[in-house]
Amino acid sequence: MSVAQQSYQLSDYLEKLPGTTFRKLYQQPSTAFAIFRRMLPPLAKVFVQALLYAPSPLLLSELDVWVRPEGKMQRDRALSILRSLHIIQITPPGKDKPQEMQLTTNFRNSMRLALEGGGFHNSFGVPSTLPVDPRIDIAYLDNYARKKWEDILHYIVNSVPVNGETGAGGGFSGGPQASVKDLLLIGRLVERRPDTRGGVGITQAGFTFLLQEANAQVWTLLLLWLEAADRARGAAEQAKGPAGNTAAKSDSIDMLSFLFMLASLELGRAYDTDALTETRRNMLPALVDFGLIYIPREDTRQYFPTRLATTLTSSASALRSVSSAFSAAAANNNNNNNNNNNNNNLGDAASLGATADSSGTGTGKGSIIVETNYRLYAYTSSPLQIAVLALFTQLNLRFPGMVSGRLTRDSIRRGIRFGITAEQIISYLASHAHEQMVRAAAATGRPVLPPTVMDQIRLWQLENERMTTSAGFLFKDFDSLEEYVSLSGYAEEIGVLMWKSDRKRMFYANKFEQLRDYLKTRKKAD
Amino acid sequence: MVKAVRGVLVECEPAIKSILVHIDSLHQHEFIIEDLDENHLFVKEQLVQALKDKLEERLKETYRPEDPLEDSD
Repeated sequence: MSVAQQSYQLSDYLEKLPGTTFRKLYQQPSTAFAIFRRMLPPLAKVFVQALLYAPSPLLLSELDVWVRPEGKMQRDRALSILRSLHIIQITPPGKDKPQEMQLTTNFRNSMRLALEGGGFHNSFGVPSTLPVDPRIDIAYLDNYARKKWEDILHYIVNSVPVNGETGAGGGFSGGPQASVKDLLLIGRLVERRPDTRGGVGITQAGFTFLLQEANAQVWTLLLLWLEAADRARGAAEQAKGPAGNTAAKSDSIDMLSFLFMLASLELGRAYDTDALTETRRNMLPALVDFGLIYIPREDTRQYFPTRLATTLTSSASALRSVSSAFSAAAANNNNNNNNNNNNNNLGDAASLGATADSSGTGTGKGSIIVETNYRLYAYTSSPLQIAVLALFTQLNLRFPGMVSGRLTRDSIRRGIRFGITAEQIISYLASHAHEQMVRAAAATGRPVLPPTVMDQIRLWQLENERMTTSAGFLFKDFDSLEEYVSLSGYAEEIGVLMWKSDRKRMFYANKFEQLRDYLKTRKKAD
Repeated sequence: MVKAVRGVLVECEPAIKSILVHIDSLHQHEFIIEDLDENHLFVKEQLVQALKDKLEERLKETYRPEDPLEDSD
């Protein structure tokens, strides 16, 4: 009975922002570029590229020539995303004029600037002219970022009870800053529980968070932080009166565009702290706490973005560990052999395999052996990895440098109740498999994990999924059939329709913002 | 006037659905907002977890799967 509970994503956050915020965001070339890079599906990118240097608006009907009829679904989805991000404008349908589309002015200008260079926007950071300490190189920054991030993950995972006793214990020092801990509490990744040793316990959202890849984790945390900052400002304003309103709003825009700017900086280079606005300077301490930037203690006029920051908007995974690199390579080999469909399995596992990558970095390489009889051995002493395994394994024995246990129906069910999916478990095991397993699998062209075990894990999940649930909105009590048909048709077009009944004139959608806007414009037209 | 009601869409087999409807009727119909069709129910958001727990309890009474294998460690 798992609810496929996604933790907080950037797209959800952006979708809620009003159009004016987007206009201001897109004044920065780095932001426009980052949104283009990170947020758009391939087809949407093609549309943007085609429109970027178009001298006049494009007729919407022209798209039919570009996109094959069977791709209509993808086309509509791409257009809907582009609209919700306020990247394109489409003229409302009218009788006398065909619909046209074009890029919004700010986005177009900034995107052109980003591609061509030029302008004095300082949008891509101001490098520091001061001498740089030679000790601070890429390896140093990677180490620093990994340490910071693992501290945060440790803190979350440490609240997991292992075989009855609380905390994975051992080698856990310090932990993240108090501000970060508060943030995890606010974001409900952990909750206060007096019965655990640390006083906090992990939540379902926390588990999903743990198994995400590092990049998604960073965004989740950053968005929690932005929202907390927004709320704090909102409270301060209420005390002050309405005057501070506009200033606060531009602050949160500035914060978001600073994050996008960080993503465009160069790893291993020093940047000038003095060139930042006050809002951005105030963000630095928090970003240091997350491990996104490094500021030398003796000279605070420089800041260094770490890999966590520079990969924010790329699809490359942050802090890639040896184990995932290895299994990715193995998958490639195997795909080249291309001899049976098991390859797909392995390829998928490896591409998903970046999940919880950083949580496994304690060992540096794969360490898990799974046998066909559901027994599991892990050559690791990393408390983080052991704690993650304990989420869905019944661990029985612990030796120095090794733990062993079994995958059982109950242990998998427990994991699934926490919100982990069977695929997440499988991909975690596959991407952290011991190199012996990977080698043996590659030699025989089989998937890394025994197929019986993978299938059984999936079956255990199915057994639990008597009902699948999704939160959203039921639309009912339509005035006319025509109103029902047009709104449900629109919902289907933009891909939010989950269920409908023409007989009952009801339908169910998982989002309502765009539908509400659609209703409004329709009402105006009437 | 069209209304948008917040809630959770539950998709399940007809057999499970009939159990859910039965549970609902035992609890003064506090769970289900709308009975949509034979595979779908519309349920109050804050009570989904409680409903799941009740279903789990009910199934435990009737269904006991075997573990695939038992051996000693």
